[in-house]
Amino acid sequence: MIKKAVILAAGEGKRLRPFTETMPKVMLPVANKPLLEYVFDATRKSGIDEIIVVVGYKKEVIMEHFKDYKNIKITYVTQDRQLGTAHALLQAKKHIKDTFIVLAGDNIIDPGSIAKLMKDPSEYSLLIKEHPHPSKYGVVFVENRNISRIVEKPKEDIGKYISTGIYKLPHSVFNDIERCTSEGAHALSTVIQSLIEKGKHINTLLAKSWMDIVYPWDLITVNETMIQKTSEYTSGTIEKGVTIKGPVSIGKDTKIYAGCYIVGPVVIGDGCEIGPQACIFPSTSIGKNTVVHPFSEIRSSVIMDDVHIASTAHISHSVIGKGCIIGDNFSTISEKAIIEIDNEFKKLETPIGTMMGEDCIIESHVVVDPGKIIGRKCRISPMKQIRKNIPSESKVM
Amino acid sequence: MKCVILAAGEGKRMHPLTYTRPKVMLPIAGKPILEWNLLNARAAGLKEFVFIVSYKSEMVREYFGDGKLWNVKINYVNQGKPLGTAHAIGTVKPFVNDFIVLCGDTIFGINDIKQIAKKGTKIGLVKIDNATEYGIVELKGKHVMKIHEKMDHPVSNVINAGMYHFNKQIFDYIRKTEKSSRGEYEITDSINMLVNKEPMEGVFLKEWRDVVYPWHLLDANEELLKKMKTKIQGTMEKNVVINGTIFVGKGTVIRSGTYIDGPVVIGNDCKIGPNCYIRPYTTIGNHCHVGNACEVKNSIVMDHSNVPHLNYVGDSVIGQNCNLGAGTTVANLRLDKKNVPVVLNGKKIDTKRKKLGAIIGDNVQTGINATINIGSMIGNDVYIGPGGFVKREVTPHTIIL
Amino acid sequence: MCGIIGYVGFREARTVLLESLKRLDYRGYDSAGVAIIDKNLKVYKEIGEIANVEKKIPHLKGSTGVGHTRWATHGGVTKENAHPHISCDKKIAIVHNGIIENHTKLREQLKKKGHRFLSQTDSEVIAHLIDDVYKGNLEEAIFAAIKKIKGSYAIVAVSQDEPGKIVGIRKESPLVIGVGDSENFLASDITAFLKYTNRVMFLNDGELCVITATSINVFDTNKKQIKKKEELINWDVTDAEKSGFPHFMLKEIYDQPDSIHHVLRGRISEMEETITFPEAVEKLLRSEINSIHIVACGTSFYAGLVGKYLIEQHTNIPVFAEIASEYRYFGSRNESSLVIAITQSGETADTLAALREAQSSGCKTLVITNVIGSTATRIADGYILQQSGPEIGVAATKTFTSQIVVLFLIALKIALLQKKLGSDELYNYLFHLKALPRQVRDVLERSNDIIAIAKQLKDAKSVFFIGRGTNFPLSLEGALKLKEISYIHAEGFAAGELKHGPFALLTKDTPVVAIVTQDETYEKILANIGEIKARGSPVIAIAEDKDTEIENHADFVLRFQSSSHVLPCIPITVVLQLLAYHVAYLRKCPIDKPRNLAKSVTVE
Repeated sequence: MIKKAVILAAGEGKRLRPFTETMPKVMLPVANKPLLEYVFDATRKSGIDEIIVVVGYKKEVIMEHFKDYKNIKITYVTQDRQLGTAHALLQAKKHIKDTFIVLAGDNIIDPGSIAKLMKDPSEYSLLIKEHPHPSKYGVVFVENRNISRIVEKPKEDIGKYISTGIYKLPHSVFNDIERCTSEGAHALSTVIQSLIEKGKHINTLLAKSWMDIVYPWDLITVNETMIQKTSEYTSGTIEKGVTIKGPVSIGKDTKIYAGCYIVGPVVIGDGCEIGPQACIFPSTSIGKNTVVHPFSEIRSSVIMDDVHIASTAHISHSVIGKGCIIGDNFSTISEKAIIEIDNEFKKLETPIGTMMGEDCIIESHVVVDPGKIIGRKCRISPMKQIRKNIPSESKVM
Repeated sequence: MKCVILAAGEGKRMHPLTYTRPKVMLPIAGKPILEWNLLNARAAGLKEFVFIVSYKSEMVREYFGDGKLWNVKINYVNQGKPLGTAHAIGTVKPFVNDFIVLCGDTIFGINDIKQIAKKGTKIGLVKIDNATEYGIVELKGKHVMKIHEKMDHPVSNVINAGMYHFNKQIFDYIRKTEKSSRGEYEITDSINMLVNKEPMEGVFLKEWRDVVYPWHLLDANEELLKKMKTKIQGTMEKNVVINGTIFVGKGTVIRSGTYIDGPVVIGNDCKIGPNCYIRPYTTIGNHCHVGNACEVKNSIVMDHSNVPHLNYVGDSVIGQNCNLGAGTTVANLRLDKKNVPVVLNGKKIDTKRKKLGAIIGDNVQTGINATINIGSMIGNDVYIGPGGFVKREVTPHTIIL
Repeated sequence: MCGIIGYVGFREARTVLLESLKRLDYRGYDSAGVAIIDKNLKVYKEIGEIANVEKKIPHLKGSTGVGHTRWATHGGVTKENAHPHISCDKKIAIVHNGIIENHTKLREQLKKKGHRFLSQTDSEVIAHLIDDVYKGNLEEAIFAAIKKIKGSYAIVAVSQDEPGKIVGIRKESPLVIGVGDSENFLASDITAFLKYTNRVMFLNDGELCVITATSINVFDTNKKQIKKKEELINWDVTDAEKSGFPHFMLKEIYDQPDSIHHVLRGRISEMEETITFPEAVEKLLRSEINSIHIVACGTSFYAGLVGKYLIEQHTNIPVFAEIASEYRYFGSRNESSLVIAITQSGETADTLAALREAQSSGCKTLVITNVIGSTATRIADGYILQQSGPEIGVAATKTFTSQIVVLFLIALKIALLQKKLGSDELYNYLFHLKALPRQVRDVLERSNDIIAIAKQLKDAKSVFFIGRGTNFPLSLEGALKLKEISYIHAEGFAAGELKHGPFALLTKDTPVVAIVTQDETYEKILANIGEIKARGSPVIAIAEDKDTEIENHADFVLRFQSSSHVLPCIPITVVLQLLAYHVAYLRKCPIDKPRNLAKSVTVE
């Protein structure tokens, strides 16, 4: 019986800046839970006893969050330099003696798919998924259920299956990894390709549900999907005259003041103060210890922990990073915008508002055009309209 | 021969009622499930009991003591950590020789217990319609071949009913039992070892009722109340109307204008009426108050709780020490007449019932004119202010103003 | 200061005793031992960890026994000095926690009667005293024996001639009865038997109990039987796990963002601009207070010193911070004094003594503690729980920062009640208090910088810490942390005091850690750094992010984030904790169990 899994959580996730300037990609929250926690939960539910977590970039954030995680044994190994997925996996070698599962810590997977992989009798096995735009992933070509070829991030959209990066591997794979990394190839897909060329059969299984976050705006769509599945609880203190419709989760010690109007699905973390007269609309996640002052309206957004939103703010389809202090009458404009990121222009199919990094201080009456990315620790003076992306630690006077 | 009863489980699917009591102490027709098993086992001839406790063990101990009140002898053993059924049974080794084991959260019938108590290693079995949630028992003739884990496509519909007859040999098998895939030491694994060495007879039970979710208590309550005979120990004033069977405990006073359609059970030292309406399959605990202009239907009200003025409670379970403010009402039927869903432990479940009121934990207080919506699951120590509106699941200690 | 356990029941005593001793080992662990009645009385003891004793004990059937983990107070750490101690005929065994003050005299008397001693401990006299008057009834013998003892004790005894019985008696050292089903327990501490039962009976001083598997009988000093009430403990028995951290101390340093939240949660409301404490505490804070005395030991005392600055800065009440063990020797106090005792465990003997002293002088008493139901909470007029969660590492970390936050809330509350604090100001404080956890996280993420400095310090023979204002008590705490776990000599000084003596110690081999905050102490601390550098000592400054000037003065700088100077001591403390931790780690010290130290000191 397979008892151990290796979870790769060392990467930075550069495309998700400014959020990943202060936390590794695996710690980005959707529906108030970091991506890595979904992976931990799915792994635990599929019967694994022990996880070896390969950490690197900003590992303290991970270790602090999971310090009270129960019911599974956690061992951390550090990848000092982020050289690639195979190199990351190699760090876990001394903890693995048998066949094991390896997964990425930043993709949401369902426990049933992992269990299916564990039960598969083949020596090597991979979970794959159909994807309309495979070019950003490892594309897998399949013949008779086995992989015939695996191509990492091809330039064009070829093939129809992608690799989820979730493998069942025998202990002997470490020898192959050592061989490949010594030849300078550090990606796991390269190692697998070399195994195929040596005649090994890599079985493929279809994953049931698998989600990835590539760009900051993906947080909003994935949040919307995952929030449908969260548990609903009413906790804390709910004052009179509060209207709650649909599935809404309210955390411990949170106080919802009179006159608030909350339409689920909405998740509100512990220790928050919401209202009076604030409105929270569907597909919104609000983290811990966040304060929302009267008459503010939040819709389809991800608000992280320790955020402070003053009165009459209007936030829609936006991501607000930890600790931001947002002044009164702040408005995001959400439309199907064209976003500039990494010197590319992306046209979005869904509306997008503002993406704001940690610890920004936004003063009164600021308006942000759709699809703008504001870096971390920015300061924006009153009455400004933000028309372009703002780099981290800037001031807009 | 001793009767060992497993009474250590929390029963998470019975939240919010099991936040403050172990599952075996949930009352049906006025008695905790564990007491029904004790009474039935006693009637089957067993006089010495060992209760395996852990979660909220004080509730069990305070109620049963050493068993004197029932003329039986009860020993308690604390299981400590919940490591599984084999681990639990293993703790009683110094106390037993030849013994039977009952899983305390199912009520077993007198005759079935008598059959299991007969000489020889045995296991109680039952046939049910939907066997996907249970371990299937494979038989060869009368003897058990293997107990399987839960399957999506069960090979038969014969399941393990949770009653066993063992001798001291079982402890050897328990010692050898390894952790299951659920991370527990399960008695079914020990039994699978046992049947390779000695015969174990499968005995089909005639009576078996499993309660999994809180609303199942209402069904179990109804079934038991149907078998009840009338007995009135309390006092009844003039102008009280009783139809059908009714049990009234000692010290209870039923005042004028009360209209009761049985079967209904009312405990000791209650104050009922004046002018209240109690309808079938309702069980009222001890020291309760059902007052003027109140209607209670198909519900279980536990000890020390009050439905005191202008209330409606239908198809509900109310915990201990609750007080409903005047005018507090519970809704129990959807306007569109569809099945009532609930949110239990954060997840939505279809109860498959057309009528369900609220499941309310202990120590809940409501202010005047509080409104409790259909399928509400209210945790213990929740405070609902005047005019408050409650729906879905409310965790313990929440305040709704 | 030791841990003792007694068991009688149906389980194998070996398993129960070892399991319980493992839970008690935070109290003392230089040696351990058990005595089990299995036809005869069998005793096993070893120095070192409990695992060493465990290997020696075979599987015995006996279900009556006593056990002990030792933290030496009298006599060195040897196998003979370990408990249990036995009588000459090897039929009676005892375990003891406490100090027998007149043991030398008693030993002489017993030797004259022919008793032979195997150890140098004070505890051994107890075994022989009981043996001397033993006539077949253990409790009668103990009643007679303790009349001769002067000192403090919690004793559990067994006799081979009376199997199935354990007898316990206490005076000043803690002893609790665990009420089980067909089994019963006696222990220094509830956690020893919490896995088996959560029902307890507390013994008071002088009381003796006779315990069998099915009965518990308690007698007072006059041998009269008394009825004891059973109490239910609602603690969680979840095993504290390290969850991937190499040491509990590191995990507890990482707990601080959460533990600080827990101090604030339910007590402050940003929207309503209030600070709320339990009614009993509010009543105390509302009453007329002419002076405040903060009494505590060790790290809690340093928290108290910070509290003195905070309370005096915000209110007009004079505050005295006193070391608890000294409190009884001086001090003028009366009914309008408020005595605030700080004790993480609620059981620290010196602090409890000071608390009782305060009460008998008529003072109002308030306790800040982490353990609900502890002795301190039962003595004082009111208590505030830190809600930090259990702290297993011996060196205090999260409890220190939580205590400072509680003291700050008290300061603000009194200021509010005295109408010295406006609503805007309060809002500002509450807002910035909520930012503290993030400042702590920020320090945690700079661990690599701190490790780099730790490498510089790991071979130092002596390190000094200096600070001004609230940074002065932090310098004391920083030095204490370094001392405790890395065994490097360290001292903290008020920066202004260096020139009055300690300067003589400074050389190029004595690094100095200077705490620098950009407030009214800034200019002077920079000047102090200049003076130190003139003597050739390397200076490591702990300074704010925004402080660019400091680089011109110090050799190395460790940074922290501070918001508007509200409690910068919190992130600074985390820097100091991590510094001490990483130095100790590099020196391969046993961080969670420093030599000669134990958690919750219950010996005076």
